[in-house]
Amino acid sequence: MQHVKVPQDRLGVLIGEGGETMREIERRAEVRLDIDSESGSVAIDATGDPVTAMVAPDIVRAIGRGFKPDAALSLLDDEMRMFELIDIEDATRNKNDLQRQKGRLIGENGRTRELMEELTGAEVVIYGTTLGIIGQPEEVQAVRRAAEMILDGAPHGAVYGFLERKHNELTHGVEL
Amino acid sequence: MSAEEAQDKWGIAHVHASFNNTLITITDQTGAETLAKSSGGTVVKQNRDEASPYAAMQMAEVVAEEALAAGLEGVHVRVRGPGGNGNKSPGPGAQATIRALARAGLEIGRIEDVTPMPHDGTRAPKNSRL
Repeated sequence: MQHVKVPQDRLGVLIGEGGETMREIERRAEVRLDIDSESGSVAIDATGDPVTAMVAPDIVRAIGRGFKPDAALSLLDDEMRMFELIDIEDATRNKNDLQRQKGRLIGENGRTRELMEELTGAEVVIYGTTLGIIGQPEEVQAVRRAAEMILDGAPHGAVYGFLERKHNELTHGVEL
Repeated sequence: MSAEEAQDKWGIAHVHASFNNTLITITDQTGAETLAKSSGGTVVKQNRDEASPYAAMQMAEVVAEEALAAGLEGVHVRVRGPGGNGNKSPGPGAQATIRALARAGLEIGRIEDVTPMPHDGTRAPKNSRL
């Protein structure tokens, strides 16, 4: 039994139209979800195999952090796929700084975030004060490093260069 | 020992997954008798790979083999992250370890999170940039 907090405005997404998404998670991850729509707390109980149920909290958390249900459920497609959260608030001094760093991570018209997705193959969502990543471990690692560089104040050009290099490394691995 | 060679002998797999390493120790149910153990350094050369999920998988395979040889049928899992002042969630090796243990033929019982949680203990380290 585990508890995950989901923000109010993501509860609807988690439940889905007529409970569709919720049932899909319950079926595929072999868990039972108890959603308290008042406090936004979700209780997760394993009903079947505890190994498949292990990812359920991550799926719920991912949806709570702004991912589409499809993207969150992709965690079940492949054993190695993982979900990671970077708290931008931890790396910033105050509200203004948070706003600025979020803008830097997203980029002009979302260019930086898009490039992070395209060049690594991971899914990146910035929501509230967090940056969430879903992907293969190397992809997640690459995005994490890139985000840390931006939060550290590196110019965007340098980060794009780094991602480009990582992209070459990642695709070479596939070709071999 | 041979007297009560029970048909379903269970153990506990302690998985300590930090961000720099993963330690797997399989003990009997009391936790006092170690049956098999492994850490990141036994399977990879580079220090930074010790916490990787791939290393964890290889370690889990080796450890599971030893556990099965010791007559275990299944294990309960205790996952532990860095905890305390540090990060509360287990590192990347934890999930991979549990999956690999299951795939190697060990039954997985309860999965428990035993990350040490401060009841407001010591002061957090000064904020380093991520």
